Amino acid sequence: MSSHGKRAPEAELGLLDATMIGMGAMIGAGIFVLTGLAAEIAGPAALLVFVLNGIVTAFTALSYAELASAIPKSGGGYAFVREVFADLPSFMMGWLLWFAYMVAGGLYALGFAPNFLELLHVYGLTAAPGEVGSVAIPALGVGVPVAVGLAFLAVLLLVSLNAASTAASGSVETIFTAIKVSILVVFVGYGVTSPQFSGAEFQPLFPGDKTAFSILPAMGLTFIAFEGYDLITTVTEEVKNPRENIPKAIFISLAVTLVVYIAVVSVAIGTLGWVDLARAGEAGIAEAATNFMPQFPVIGNGGAVIVFGAVFSTLTALNAVVIASSRVAFSMGREGQLLPSFGQLHHRFGTPFWAILASAVVMLSSVVLPTQSAGNMSSLFFLLSFVIVNGSVIKLRRERPDMARPYELPYYPVPPVLGIALNLLLTGVLVVYLLRTDVLALLLSGGWIGLGVVAYYGLTTLRTSAEEAETERAAAEDD
Amino acid sequence: MTQDISVIIVGGGRVGFQTAELLDDRGHKITIVERDPAVCEALTDEWLATVIKGDATNPEILAQGGLEKADVVAGLTGLTGVNLAVCMMATRLSPDTRTVARIDHGDGAGYEEFVDAIVYPERSGARVAANEIVGSDVQTLADVTGTLDIMEVLVEEGAPAAGKQLANVRFPAGTLVISDEDGDRIAQPDTELRPGRRYVVAVEPDVVDEVMNLLRG
Repeated sequence: MSSHGKRAPEAELGLLDATMIGMGAMIGAGIFVLTGLAAEIAGPAALLVFVLNGIVTAFTALSYAELASAIPKSGGGYAFVREVFADLPSFMMGWLLWFAYMVAGGLYALGFAPNFLELLHVYGLTAAPGEVGSVAIPALGVGVPVAVGLAFLAVLLLVSLNAASTAASGSVETIFTAIKVSILVVFVGYGVTSPQFSGAEFQPLFPGDKTAFSILPAMGLTFIAFEGYDLITTVTEEVKNPRENIPKAIFISLAVTLVVYIAVVSVAIGTLGWVDLARAGEAGIAEAATNFMPQFPVIGNGGAVIVFGAVFSTLTALNAVVIASSRVAFSMGREGQLLPSFGQLHHRFGTPFWAILASAVVMLSSVVLPTQSAGNMSSLFFLLSFVIVNGSVIKLRRERPDMARPYELPYYPVPPVLGIALNLLLTGVLVVYLLRTDVLALLLSGGWIGLGVVAYYGLTTLRTSAEEAETERAAAEDD
Repeated sequence: MTQDISVIIVGGGRVGFQTAELLDDRGHKITIVERDPAVCEALTDEWLATVIKGDATNPEILAQGGLEKADVVAGLTGLTGVNLAVCMMATRLSPDTRTVARIDHGDGAGYEEFVDAIVYPERSGARVAANEIVGSDVQTLADVTGTLDIMEVLVEEGAPAAGKQLANVRFPAGTLVISDEDGDRIAQPDTELRPGRRYVVAVEPDVVDEVMNLLRG
């Protein structure tokens, strides 16, 4: 009847575990899936794209660190903004963040599929992913592309797991992250020493029609690769000595992630060349590895290690965002900002069942999107929500100057103001870019925001009438 | 509707802190207003509540605790006068907010006019002490054995576990439903958790939040 092991948050995660949670969310799916797509937009300057994104996101990281140290609530950005802003802005924050995570789920599932096919391909079980991806399955009698079908199945599997039992603990996450990082280290190690890399050509940085302005839309697309520290702040209650460890974990994970990204992207561009990397798209890193890794005994093709890493990373990242998205919906339900059932645990499974299920619906539908649209939309919503987070720091400092802030960000108000400006700049660039290339993503994004406004006022009306009925009943009882 | 409430506790000393701890276990949102910087530091290390540094009898400081969103303001400092002042100020600034004041002397009869509820930590403590001195193995419901919470919980209409049989509800490890709805029989697997009825439940502090979610919604 009852489950065993730890279920409730308990302070048992150290600095290393917290750092690993952040790195686990950042390193992995983003770098595996988006490197190829970034190369397609920005060429060899994809390297700069990741570096600049790291810098932009560092300002928001400072804000997160201050808020996480001062507001002792797990739940990440939504919980912080809820504390600071009135109903509508905090609702929008939750609504944006919820969607960002759900679409990120779609993105990771879409990144999982071609890498999984590449894994099968490495062992000679299927044709190259590019050739399989467009083929329909006759067995199903419908024209479902294999990749979409695989992505759909992956989401379905992880959602069912999470709906039926509670999540894996932080220590499992540490092991997962260690595996991912070591696979990338192997990738970089072999890449740097490979003959292809010694002849690598990064010049010109902007070949053909690429210009310095190609960097901006690519930054927008890959911004999602840096959202991991929001996840650290969703487990704050479980971290030992959080007022010191949470800011540290945020900065360390961001710095390490940036170093790993720079190394991986350099190797990928250096060995495969940006043209081939761009062509390989979601499976770019895997293809680069297959290109230069030696043959191993038992494992066979050395690239298989990296491909396995990509499959593993996208799946674990997918699992993380299933949890993250349902936590946002759960918190919103608890706060009465979504239907109350979202904030309730299932009596049979002990999980936030309805929150997970609702997230699953959006995630499953986003799987039919092109990977790039999913990446763009998710990045767009993270950018917007980060604007609100930076705003919270400013608002909180003004309205509650006497609040205890164990960590105070330096040079206030420069970092949050810069964070807002840079995030808005990227949002603007991304929107302009989407107007030209991906109107569907833009329409869907606008649709979700519109739906949010409708949902907000719908729920408010519902609640007010419920409260009025309650008051009337109470008044009738008094008579 | 959500069952979580938002509480401002004035005074982060022993009583205020312990109260915050119990409320935090149940998932409520707590802000502590505390004057002593050293106590503030210790409180932030505990990671239970948002802490406002300052004198709560200053309206500006009390407002920083988020008075407009608070469901309850509890004056729990060792100074009866401060507690009363804070409660009356809260009532004035935000009339819907419930107020609770800690009173350390007298019988408190005269205070009901000014605050919604009164607590006497000394009297509650004395009751526990008396029980311990007598050395009875049996503790009354209101008292706490070790860290276990033994609570009487009213099952809310529409809560996840409402109307379900015990065997069909997955309570977290560290939970024991003790009584049936009349409180005169030990709960069985087929005991139904009927909404609107009270049940005696023993819970470990770590999982109180989850149990409350299942029983109260």
